[in-house]
Amino acid sequence: MLNLALIAYVVATGLALAYLVQREEVTYRLTTAVTLAGWALQTAGLIARTVEGGRGPFASFPEAVSVAVWAAVLLELWAERQYRIRVLGAFVLPVVVVLSVSGTMAGPALQSTALHNVWITVHVVLALLGIAAFVLNFAGSIMYLLQERQLKARRPGTFYYRLPSLETLDRLTFRALTLGFPFLTVGLMLGALWTGRFHPLIAFSTVAWVIYAFTLASRAVAGWRGRRAAYCAILGFAALVLTLGAGVLLPGPHGS
Amino acid sequence: MGTLFVSGLSHREAPVAVREQLALEADKLREVLGHVMATGALAEVMILSTCNRVEVYGVAGAPAAARALTFRQLGAQRGMALDGLEPMLYTKTETDAVHHAFRVAASLDSMIVGEPQILGQVKEAVAVAQDCQTLGPTLHRLWMKAFAVAKRVRTETDVARHAVSVSFAAVELAKKIFAGLDGRTVLLVGAGEMGELAARHLVEQGAFPIYVANRTWARAQELARALAGTAVPFADLEATMAIVDIVVTSTGASEPIITREAVQRALHLRRSRPLFFVDIAVPRDVEPTVNELANVFCYDIDDLKQVVDANLREREREAQRAEAIVKHEVERFVTRRRDQEVVPTIVSLRTRLEAIRQAELEKALAKLPDASAETRQTLEALSTAIVNKILHVPITKLRESSRAGQGGSWTAFVHELFGLRRDPP
Repeated sequence: MLNLALIAYVVATGLALAYLVQREEVTYRLTTAVTLAGWALQTAGLIARTVEGGRGPFASFPEAVSVAVWAAVLLELWAERQYRIRVLGAFVLPVVVVLSVSGTMAGPALQSTALHNVWITVHVVLALLGIAAFVLNFAGSIMYLLQERQLKARRPGTFYYRLPSLETLDRLTFRALTLGFPFLTVGLMLGALWTGRFHPLIAFSTVAWVIYAFTLASRAVAGWRGRRAAYCAILGFAALVLTLGAGVLLPGPHGS
Repeated sequence: MGTLFVSGLSHREAPVAVREQLALEADKLREVLGHVMATGALAEVMILSTCNRVEVYGVAGAPAAARALTFRQLGAQRGMALDGLEPMLYTKTETDAVHHAFRVAASLDSMIVGEPQILGQVKEAVAVAQDCQTLGPTLHRLWMKAFAVAKRVRTETDVARHAVSVSFAAVELAKKIFAGLDGRTVLLVGAGEMGELAARHLVEQGAFPIYVANRTWARAQELARALAGTAVPFADLEATMAIVDIVVTSTGASEPIITREAVQRALHLRRSRPLFFVDIAVPRDVEPTVNELANVFCYDIDDLKQVVDANLREREREAQRAEAIVKHEVERFVTRRRDQEVVPTIVSLRTRLEAIRQAELEKALAKLPDASAETRQTLEALSTAIVNKILHVPITKLRESSRAGQGGSWTAFVHELFGLRRDPP
């Protein structure tokens, strides 16, 4: 079922990109339908896993990524309606697919006994929800930079016509940031407390946290926004991806 | 059933000198419509007369004669001979005429593709024809469908969306920077006409309040009154820049009046909230390097023209998608129109055979007074099956013939063959 969901996401990505280019109403409706179908399949798949294993579906890395992706798709569908950005899928879904595919390729790394600890479960869930929000933050920032470049260059191209206003994109990314940051903060604290020793994972995730904290602080203090905030979002997301990579590839609490 | 046709001339073939002559007011059109109908050469007629096109839509047995008749009448109103008009006239019939009507209503045949006035003009022309009772069922159906197609094109494509004037392009750009213009503040510097127009458009889209600065205080106050804004002293330009979102400049100054340093200072005060400069003045009022500052967007008159050009290209791209919609709708309309040609024949054919079946069934049952319910049902089913089997091929053939455009001869043949009464169409 999870594989079927991934296929649906791949198809939805193709459709969303097609919609970005040719803007057929039918394509948009299909994109939404296929995304919803993928999400429903994934929900069913994750529930099945939970019932089967008698525990949350975070025991292996692919499962954990799947949960993050599940939340990211849900957020995307919500934001698309909330902010009326019909092309949002074209920017979020590719990230979703890349994450999912790398998740499945990593293989079932660990069967951690640690997951019986309730605090660890909370750590995992919070960190994953945080990641989902930052996927949206990242995609919104890419869109912001594209639109800003078009407006600065004063030569309207495809993106000028397709993307929403800078202010809308700024609101979206800021909202995603304020949503993800608390999750990430608490999730990291729990994780660090439990590990108690140094691991590259902690270094990368701390870097991500610092970048996001800096973005928030500079906006509050100096009104930093726009392009700078977008660059920070991209850096922060890169650090998060490295964190995930470190979690799988290096021996430690998340990998075998 | 007569032939549906359109004849006319438009901005594509006819020079403005001819079009302005032939563009008639409603009263004259009524006169022409009445006169043309009175001849009996046309079953239905409607005239679309704008400064970009003069077209006659009609249903007639002989479209060529109907065209000559109508344009002779139209020309006569302005002392123009038919011979002079003939070379400029085009005529399209049936499918091509439907296609033409749909494209005109959807503003795909307009001088500026997507311009919105044409639809209103067509609606008016239809109303005039309806008033004169020259609009029959064919033209009525044609235009109702054309209006629906125009609406579809407008909602499903961006053919009419992007600005084709410099002042509207500025408004559109503002909407790509800010999420809506409600409550955005504007500063208008100078009293140039284009600047005032752009400011007016911004106000119409919800921008408020609007500040007006001018070297002449009296002029600033005058303009502020006209735009329901507030006059600010010219010396306060920099301070005002710190609180507004959009600055429109159109002064006659020979040097830039808004420097990069001034904008930088203002930006500091506004905590990096975006600032949009629309510089319509020549020579420019805003230093061009202002655009390099973060969260500042500065467009001069050439930039705005470039945006308009890009918008026109975007309209053309969207027009291609619109053409596909129109083509599809034309096919559907023509198919339905042809089906309508054979539908009455199919109905009377069915009615005739059903009457025969009923009569024969009654006769048979009269001879079988003791027939069981089962026998009756069997006879009923048997006769129905025979009728349906016999009808199947003729009906299929009729529908096929109508789609191939030969419905007329086939219906006549079927009527003859089965001795059907000919109903008036």
